[in-house]
Amino acid sequence: MGIGELDREAHVPEGRPRGTAGSPRTLAEALRARGDDGLAALLRARPDLLGPVPNDLTQLATRAGTRASVVRALERLDRFSLQVAQALAVAPDPAPYPVLLGLFTGGRPGSAVEEALPRAVALLREQALVWGGDDRLRLVRTARELLSPSPQHPSPTGLGPTVAEATAGMSPGRLQEIVAAAGLPSTHDPVSAVAALTSLFTDRERMAALLDTAPPEALAVLDRLVWGPPYGEVTAKPAPPVGWLRDRGLLLPVSPRTMVLPREVALHLRGGRAHRAPEPRAPELSVAREYRPAVADGAAAGQAYAALATVEELLKSWEHGGPPVLRAGGLSVRDLKRTAAALDVPEPVAAFWLELAYGAGLLASDGEADERYAPTPAYDDWLDLPPAERWVRLAAAWLAATRTPGLAGGQDAKGRTLSVLGPDLDRAAAPEVRRRVLGLLAALPPGAAPDPETLLARLRWERPTRGGSAADRAPAAPGAPAAAPPETAAGAWASDSRPAPASSPAPSSPVDLRERLARWALQDAELLGITGRGALSTAARALLNLPLDAPAEPSAEGGGVEPEVAEERAAELLEPLLPEAVDHVLLQADLTAVAPGPLLRPLADALAVLADVESKGGATVYRFTPGSVRRALDTGQAASDLHAFLAAHSRTPVPQPLAYLIDDVARRHGHLRIGAASAYVRCDDDALLGEILADRRSAPLRLRRLAPTVLAAQTDPSSLLDGLRAMGYAPAAESAEGDVLVARAAAHRTPVRTPPAPVPDGPPPPDATLLAAAVRAIRAGDRAATAVRKEPAPAAATPGGLPRTSPAETLATVQAAAMTGSAVWIGYVNAEGAASQRVIAPVRVEGGFVTGYDHTADEVRTYPLHRITGVAELADDEV
Amino acid sequence: MNGPLIVQSDKTLLLEVDHELAEACRRAIAPFAELERAPEHIHTYRVTPLGLWNARAAGHDAEQVVDALVEYSRYPVPHALLVDIAETMGRYGRLTLSKHPAHGLVLTTTDRPVLEEILRSKRVQPLVGARIDADTVAVHPSERGQIKQTLLKLGWPAEDLAGYVDGEAHPIELAEDGWSLRPYQQHAVEGFWHGGSGVVVLPCGAGKTLVGAGAMARAKATTLILVTNTVSARQWKNELVRRTSLTEDEIGEYSGTKKEIRPVTIATYQVLTTRRKGVYPHLELFDSRDWGLIVYDEVHLLPAPVFKFTADLQARRRLGLTATLVREDGKEADVFSLIGPKRFDAPWKEIEAQGYIAPADCVEVRVNLTDSERLAYATAEAEEKYRFCATTATKRRVTEALVEKFAGQQILVIGQYIDQLDELGAHLDAPVIKGETSNKERERLFDAFRNGEINVLVVSKVANFSIDLPEATVAIQVSGTFGSRQEEAQRLGRVLRPKADGHQAHFYSVVARDTIDQDFAAHRQRFLAEQGYAYRIVDADELLAP
Repeated sequence: MGIGELDREAHVPEGRPRGTAGSPRTLAEALRARGDDGLAALLRARPDLLGPVPNDLTQLATRAGTRASVVRALERLDRFSLQVAQALAVAPDPAPYPVLLGLFTGGRPGSAVEEALPRAVALLREQALVWGGDDRLRLVRTARELLSPSPQHPSPTGLGPTVAEATAGMSPGRLQEIVAAAGLPSTHDPVSAVAALTSLFTDRERMAALLDTAPPEALAVLDRLVWGPPYGEVTAKPAPPVGWLRDRGLLLPVSPRTMVLPREVALHLRGGRAHRAPEPRAPELSVAREYRPAVADGAAAGQAYAALATVEELLKSWEHGGPPVLRAGGLSVRDLKRTAAALDVPEPVAAFWLELAYGAGLLASDGEADERYAPTPAYDDWLDLPPAERWVRLAAAWLAATRTPGLAGGQDAKGRTLSVLGPDLDRAAAPEVRRRVLGLLAALPPGAAPDPETLLARLRWERPTRGGSAADRAPAAPGAPAAAPPETAAGAWASDSRPAPASSPAPSSPVDLRERLARWALQDAELLGITGRGALSTAARALLNLPLDAPAEPSAEGGGVEPEVAEERAAELLEPLLPEAVDHVLLQADLTAVAPGPLLRPLADALAVLADVESKGGATVYRFTPGSVRRALDTGQAASDLHAFLAAHSRTPVPQPLAYLIDDVARRHGHLRIGAASAYVRCDDDALLGEILADRRSAPLRLRRLAPTVLAAQTDPSSLLDGLRAMGYAPAAESAEGDVLVARAAAHRTPVRTPPAPVPDGPPPPDATLLAAAVRAIRAGDRAATAVRKEPAPAAATPGGLPRTSPAETLATVQAAAMTGSAVWIGYVNAEGAASQRVIAPVRVEGGFVTGYDHTADEVRTYPLHRITGVAELADDEV
Repeated sequence: MNGPLIVQSDKTLLLEVDHELAEACRRAIAPFAELERAPEHIHTYRVTPLGLWNARAAGHDAEQVVDALVEYSRYPVPHALLVDIAETMGRYGRLTLSKHPAHGLVLTTTDRPVLEEILRSKRVQPLVGARIDADTVAVHPSERGQIKQTLLKLGWPAEDLAGYVDGEAHPIELAEDGWSLRPYQQHAVEGFWHGGSGVVVLPCGAGKTLVGAGAMARAKATTLILVTNTVSARQWKNELVRRTSLTEDEIGEYSGTKKEIRPVTIATYQVLTTRRKGVYPHLELFDSRDWGLIVYDEVHLLPAPVFKFTADLQARRRLGLTATLVREDGKEADVFSLIGPKRFDAPWKEIEAQGYIAPADCVEVRVNLTDSERLAYATAEAEEKYRFCATTATKRRVTEALVEKFAGQQILVIGQYIDQLDELGAHLDAPVIKGETSNKERERLFDAFRNGEINVLVVSKVANFSIDLPEATVAIQVSGTFGSRQEEAQRLGRVLRPKADGHQAHFYSVVARDTIDQDFAAHRQRFLAEQGYAYRIVDADELLAP
């Protein structure tokens, strides 16, 4: 196999004649032939190619062919495009379009596939995974390696290796026997024997004739293997049907105990189809219920209001001494439970609210010695916003957040429990999945709620391979002999649509992370009021920058409005739906007050001190108790202030029992005065002091009568206060000057905090400006690199001298060589400074080293790149 | 969107009563929501699983409930709440109790996993018999009540289609000569009869006895009536003789003194729960005849052994009557599951508005302890504290002042502590009825009071219930059973019978200020306050001032 036959995707076509317009010779050439729009589309789809901006198209093509980038690109393909790529990987290289189509239809016309295939091929081309004209479709080499069946990574097509691959290590004698048994003319040359066998298997009629002679048991064996996995265990002395198949090469050995069904045979048995179930069409979303848009919006607004109330309640409860931060970061399970109980929600929901507040920058650790969580100053600013804008702030933070509260409570790879607000909860895929889920919801008519299962099925179709599982595996050389081929199809690429019970993923495996993220996204959206009764609300559509009153295109990216404008529009749409703040309460004789709607904030704050909240929701029910009235008096208000306050804000006359309650508590409030300096109790009523002294419960306070109206205590003032209150008195603390101390703790705030930045996976999608600039830069670099120079490059041409190339060029050339497996000529300076020239076939380029087979030294060696003075390609016929 | 209803996240519903749609809304939500509080402006209803299941049993489905909420709600109803309602209501009817021609009482399911789930419960296992097929299991007939109660607790209420036995027929008619059942009584009887069994809640003095009589006239069968005490038993008997076709001979009294079993038998809880040598000999009464109807008067007082026995009587029609279904032991749910769901409920103020009970002026009089009393109070043992403050001498002077103020009207002075009552009796020169007073003497005194021969009667808690004293217009409560809400309501009930001259009733509760008495009083008043009785507070000094 000569070098010239290898596809030279990233080859620098320096000094060579350009390929004809119809068939580019390399990927770089194919890219060069594209318009700027085409390049921009590639860079938009694969933004990782942009970091840093490649110098020229050669470098871009090289980078597009690196393993990491190809894996990334493959992971982002929809199921059908991936199936197309998989089919190309088992097709001859290059494959004409009709052959590819044949692999799906098996010769029979299948309209859906015929319709969808051009789109899929175009997509693969756009993403530089496939290049070449329709007559010569080529899958880039890395993708081919990743997708073609190997014992380590069985292909989801269920196809095995070709006859040529499977017989690679077979003895010529054995091959002779097979050829003879298959009824072919004998030949001593193994290459022609393999060719003969291959042509027999691919010849429809002769193959059919051969199978007609097969015993039925043998056909049953083939039936079991035909749709994969193609490997089967055999004993040392196989049963007659297996023996029959083995003798004719219909099964080929891969190890003493394992046989494989060659690809050609399987394709014949399948009628030429690569996939059992091609899925050319995305599954439709089915609408579970359709509400009037106003109903859905109403429900969403109700939930949005509940979200605001919950976040506010949560943060308010953490104002005075929030829970401590765990040493490893995060909130303890006990505190989460407590918070959930306080909010009256299940723990996962409480975790969601916590992370939401945290993600919106309203909540953070205070960073003090005993670290505690507390609201941030941003919380105060947030509180001052109108409700609709408050909601928009939360929703926007949620849309971009990479933190996933749903993972809390689980364990990370090291077995440590993941805690809410703690580290390691960021999942880069979250925002993208979330956007996609909402995008799919937006594709439905307003007010329509989808069946979540169909939505998840659609997501599975759009992104069938998930997580970085393939990239994590050690790259295995294609065609390397396998020690033990796996029996089940549980490989990284084996995510076929059929449910495979054997390969059900572990709960924490990345395989189902996207699905879990999608489920969470649906739940969170409902909690937050993004959706109402399952349908996307109009305000959310505005926030997502989508058309308001019509289904959006499924792939709509949002319509050009700046995010700030979108947020403003969402707030405007939401605002009229939120309950209007009321400025009054209804007072009732059973000592309750009902606020028939959300109260204006100052009123709510004042009332929250004066009364205990009994029930929340659209309205708030307050109950007045002696304790709550005393609390209000403790904040420095007089009874007359309270009366005036109630009279001013009540729609109904103040009931007499309530007025009485306030007077009664006020009468006793501050009746007792307690000094801070020396802890004393003084009271004008000496009988009362006598009463206290006589009370046995006062013993722990160690009171002593100083004067008829003054008691001194040995305890500190606060215990004294508590003690006396416990005994049923209403003492007031007093300052050294004799004034009543106002007991009102300042609300606790963290220092100024920035909200945690989302942690996206990879660079952000490039915008149009960046794309245009990048394309311009690449074009310019490319023009410089490919400009036809008058003089030939002197370094490479001088025989005996060291080749000289720029480091970037060196790297690109060596990488290209490593990919194509071709040999290059390098100049090398060793540690002692001695220069030498070598011919090496690079195998791997990484970490500043190139490892390759050194033809000069006849062994595998590793050279540091910085010692390579330059590199030149060899003429095609040199090795 | 400007409805009268506000749905709270804790599943309470707030109904603004002054709203024009309030009445329509009340009718829409009444089938599934319990009225919890009914003060003057905003009534509070609560949506409970039990209420939702009762609504299902009465033929309402989740869609109706959701529609009612959505239609009348002022603000959007949280989706989670609607889902929860649908889910809860969906649990009813998955299991049914019915009569099988071959296997007797059987439990059938339409949802097999549910049956599997409940059969796995340890509490259900002893109640069921053999598995008949995949969807059916036999139930011991005697455990009909138990299993219903248990399934309710497990959250899978069974629909009881096994029906009722008719019992031994006995002709009973209402003798509506010159009077007739009031509309709400008629509704209550119909509600009960339609539902088969259940509880009717009516304010004191609103004529619960007549509801019982109406139910008997519908059943036309032998009836067992359970009442709180002998005096009450006699009143039932008199009322039945007067209002129905029954004659004195047809009505038996089964009490400590008499053991008559007649077609209509009135028994006291006390005699039923008398225990001799570890057994309850009188519980046999339930089986002594083929009763067609069992009436539980003052069902909120149902003692535990009767509870137990009632569970075994599920095949008979049961009617519970009460004014105040609040139990400080929290066993309201047991009453509902054993007697039956609430079939009729009327807010007190509504009956008052219709003129069937007298309007009442409730006043809390606050008295100050004297200095020496305060000292003594502070040093008293915890368990003695209430007694001490409740019996302060100042209360006596206030009571005297009140009696003087209402001289000429029929006045009841009610208290907890015998010493206090005796002292009051001596000072007011009024007879005292207490536990040791014989039934004969009690009846004589009550009769004298009714006839106006006595103006002031001092009574202990023996007169809390079921004592019909139509002409009492003023009640003065000097002490009570700590914080009992229903006692307060029952005591107010003593003066709520509509007066011949239609004038107002007065209820005074005398409370010692700044003591535990005041805390208890606040708790006691909650039920009535929630029913819309606004207490006025006055200082003792105002009353004592000349």
